[in-house]
Amino acid sequence: MAEENPKDKSQVSGSNGVLRIKNLTKKFGSNLVLDDITLSIEKGKTTVVIGPSGCGKTVLIKHLIVLLRPTSGEVYFKKQRIDNLNEGELNKIRTHYGFLFQGGALFDSLSVAENIIFPIKQHYEITDWRQVEELIKTKLAMVGLDGFQNYYPAKLSGGQKKRVALARAIALNPEIILYDEPTTGLDPIRADIINELILKLQRELGVTTIVVTHDMVSAYKIADRIIMLHNGKIIADGDADHIRNHPHPVVQQFINGQVSEDDLAVLRMSGAISQAQFLPRDFQQ
Amino acid sequence: MNTAVGTRLAALGAKSIQDIGNAGRFGRFFWQTLVTSARSCARSRTYPLIWTQMHIIGVRSVPVIMITGAFVGMTLAVQAYDQLAGMGLEEHLGVLINISVVKELGPVLAAVMLAGRIGGALTAELGTMNVTEQIDAVRSMGTDPIWYLVAPRLLASLLLTPFLIIYADLMGIIGGYFVSVLQLGINASAYWTFSAYGVELWDLSVGVVKGFFFGGAIAVISCYKGFTCKEGAHGVGQACTEAFVASFISILALDFALAVIFKAIYNTFWPFRSLVG
Repeated sequence: MAEENPKDKSQVSGSNGVLRIKNLTKKFGSNLVLDDITLSIEKGKTTVVIGPSGCGKTVLIKHLIVLLRPTSGEVYFKKQRIDNLNEGELNKIRTHYGFLFQGGALFDSLSVAENIIFPIKQHYEITDWRQVEELIKTKLAMVGLDGFQNYYPAKLSGGQKKRVALARAIALNPEIILYDEPTTGLDPIRADIINELILKLQRELGVTTIVVTHDMVSAYKIADRIIMLHNGKIIADGDADHIRNHPHPVVQQFINGQVSEDDLAVLRMSGAISQAQFLPRDFQQ
Repeated sequence: MNTAVGTRLAALGAKSIQDIGNAGRFGRFFWQTLVTSARSCARSRTYPLIWTQMHIIGVRSVPVIMITGAFVGMTLAVQAYDQLAGMGLEEHLGVLINISVVKELGPVLAAVMLAGRIGGALTAELGTMNVTEQIDAVRSMGTDPIWYLVAPRLLASLLLTPFLIIYADLMGIIGGYFVSVLQLGINASAYWTFSAYGVELWDLSVGVVKGFFFGGAIAVISCYKGFTCKEGAHGVGQACTEAFVASFISILALDFALAVIFKAIYNTFWPFRSLVG
């Protein structure tokens, strides 16, 4: 285990962030996913959370909007503690957030337009439908999909679904947008479109952005700050250059996409692959 | 030996704790659903959602419910005829068929059919929404998923299951009539006369009121199983199976409990009906 870098921001997190997590621990049964995490997210900046699959990135951002409750620890939105609020109180707070889910999470039974007006209908009394149609058009134009209003999610490609989901996430003009693996499953060009959209929304709307990803190209492109999670803890925290030059071997291994020595040792084991190839004919012979 | 017994006891203890936890979670879900549904009745925004579910749960179930009812009546006629004819009581066949249909078999078999048709559909739909994070998406947009997804389904089910049972009863009566009168040759006038003597408004009411409880049980259990289903196709499939089994057992248990309660009410109050009628 390498020594922690004293320049990591999480060591010196202030209390002025728009979102703050204090000593957050999350367990599922006996499985410890997040281990005593303290973090402050700065307003108007893009924070990217990286880490290998299954390290708890999604669990972390779901705590930021309290879709999951901590086992212990506290979550703050602005100055208000929100992890102990009831669902009714949380629903008011959640209107300040937009959340782009990994698969888009569009409602299959609703058209693109109906998906986008869903959050508006829940919180406002719609009297002027022409104005709403204009709003849908504007939101879809922002993600480059104007004209897709009457399509159903089943007819959209993976990238289009994510863009519609993004249009829905910004429907209520949120202050904070959370992205869960926005580029996963997309080809590099579509992934870059999503990156450009994230940057555009951050520039034009001035929103606070938190992105969970394991796509380092995306992370370097959009991040003001990168946080790396490993074994439930933050092991690196800083800007792109800080992460590139981080001394922690796990960080270097992850950002360079290198397999660990332990994993290699398993693969190099004599006859490991041939031993794993049990086909029915082996038993017949 | 002691270790084996200890292991089994530990497994039993762990299973008991898990079952108690599940019962608690279901109890909390049930309570939240009741409270939210009661509040939803006063929110005009809920009405279009209920209307949509009434179409899916109610209107689309009519054909299968009517077929179920018709076969119940026809089968009863075929099965009971020989017994009654042996005693020279075949003209009383209408009473036996109609009271069985309206009081017991119509409501129970219609509810079982509904548990398969709408219960499976509700669990599969909500389960898929759960595993694809659509329920989390509802929450993330500041909307209560119990209000948006569960309350309309429960209210539609509560409102329409009694009507569906009336359809099943009607078709059971017609099916029984056709087999008894047209196939088995029982005198039509005697068939209806004995039926009218034997079947009271109370019997019909009991069957319809049962529908209210059966509909509520099917909707709550199916929605709960959908909300708590595990990841993947296997998880959704398993949730659908569990929802049907739990709904079926609940229907039978409720049927027994309601039979006891309604019998007590009947014995206490029905003799006084002439005082208020």
